[in-house]
Amino acid sequence: MRLLLCIVLGVASLSQNAHAYLQFTTAVGGETRVLKWQRTPIRWFAADRAGGGVSAAEFQGAMARAFATWEAVPTASVTFQFAGATGAQPFDDDGISVLGFQAHPEMDRVLGATGFLVDTVTGEIVESDIFFNSTFPWSTAAQGDPNRFDLESVALHEIGHFIGLGHSGIGETEMRPDGGRQVLGSAAVMFPIALGRGITHDRVLEPDDIAGVSDTYPAAGFRSSTGVAAGRVSRNGRGIIGAHVVTFNPATGALIAGFTLNNDGEFQIAGLQPGAHVIRVEPLDDADVESFFSRPSAVDLGFLVTFYDRLYVAPNGGVGDRVTVAVRPR
Amino acid sequence: MTRVVVFALALTAVYPASAQTRNLAPPERIEVSGGAGWIGGASVGAVDAELRAATVSQSPFRLFSTDSRFGGAATFHVTAGFALTRRFAVEGGVTVSHPELRASISEDVESAPPITIAERIDQYSIDANLVVMIRELAIGQQTVPFVSAGAGYLRQLHAGQTVVEHGHVFHAGGGIKHWLLIRRQGLIRGAGVRADAHLYLMSGGIAFEDHPRPHGAVSGSVFLAF
Repeated sequence: MRLLLCIVLGVASLSQNAHAYLQFTTAVGGETRVLKWQRTPIRWFAADRAGGGVSAAEFQGAMARAFATWEAVPTASVTFQFAGATGAQPFDDDGISVLGFQAHPEMDRVLGATGFLVDTVTGEIVESDIFFNSTFPWSTAAQGDPNRFDLESVALHEIGHFIGLGHSGIGETEMRPDGGRQVLGSAAVMFPIALGRGITHDRVLEPDDIAGVSDTYPAAGFRSSTGVAAGRVSRNGRGIIGAHVVTFNPATGALIAGFTLNNDGEFQIAGLQPGAHVIRVEPLDDADVESFFSRPSAVDLGFLVTFYDRLYVAPNGGVGDRVTVAVRPR
Repeated sequence: MTRVVVFALALTAVYPASAQTRNLAPPERIEVSGGAGWIGGASVGAVDAELRAATVSQSPFRLFSTDSRFGGAATFHVTAGFALTRRFAVEGGVTVSHPELRASISEDVESAPPITIAERIDQYSIDANLVVMIRELAIGQQTVPFVSAGAGYLRQLHAGQTVVEHGHVFHAGGGIKHWLLIRRQGLIRGAGVRADAHLYLMSGGIAFEDHPRPHGAVSGSVFLAF
């Protein structure tokens, strides 16, 4: 049985904060299934309309470059195929995956969004559409345009959703006088808030993004050459949900993260290079929790940033020693 | 780091001792030794966990800082040497130690208190050395200083011994050998003790920065000459 899950996960033009890759999942008969495409290459269409100062041809080129960036990840095995220009629109339930501009002035903080049609029995994504809000000014200039948002960067983010990735929390923000948040830095294309006009940093995938796509679509050798950090986060002995667990590899500088996702406070983070890591646990205390979890009320925000008290060794393949990080109440 | 023990091939002297001191190291003499020592700590590197800045011009945004180093550790070694001439010898050996890798974390952006975290490393080095006996500086008839230098392979295993890191070790230093027993005949032609002090440069292995890491090391050994 198929159901349309219109999950609008976009990149906001204004901010929040967090850390990590997250896979979309669905519960089937008590089991958790990761949402993913099961047939490749994944065919996509470009809507044949201009928007935001970008022509249809420029739009198509930016989309193609963004798909190619995901496809080039050596540890992942996801492939795409441009199926042509179309007069169809994103979010039509038409059986084809369409990317295109749409004007949504009412979404004054949303640059773009992605929706899915999934098979709720198998977890297979069967259609996914992306719209880019043509209310905003866009650019496809090679060096970016300081007055416009970089289309390729936002496309890379939305295509991450298109293939089944949720938002990453690896980023820091600060409050602005108007109550919004301003991004200070991020280490994931899948961070939910765009870096700003003229910034093209998000044309390049970060280790957290690469771990996410590789965990979802593993290439041969990925599982055997990288390790998984596993454990739980507890407060007063009880597991907590929604704790953001960040691993840092001092040898590579890579930041890869995940969340505790059940009542036992358990987490698993794949794609770690073998070797020593620092583990840092933080609450999503100033993030838009709704952009990460469907049940934000379950997320525990009442604890302090805590480092695991040992260096964690990611194994060369497989799951490392399980650790417990005991956090203190805020 | 590993240190490879350098055992000079000192050679046994013969009788009468006073007349034979300059011949203490006859060629084609094999020597084996074993002992223990201490290798000093060294910095592995200071690395910040950084986010990309939100603007083109800003430097990266620091999430927290790490400063990592190996602590000092006891070493144990075995070495075999071969005298090429009375002045020169070559040696090869294995040194084992279990230093602690410590990372000090500070300057967390959300004010987490500073903390030092650690793991125990199993460290092995296999190396070869050239030893030069400085016979001109011999003290009496049984004690001779030497200098040595060498290079080898460094193998480090993280906790649980599931992850191996490979590197190289280079060292230079010197020491002194003292013969306690010198015999003209028999399987064992001599025995004595030896002290070494070396500077080691480790490259590769567990390293968070590219430059070689200097470690000071001292050791003492007992040797037998055949």
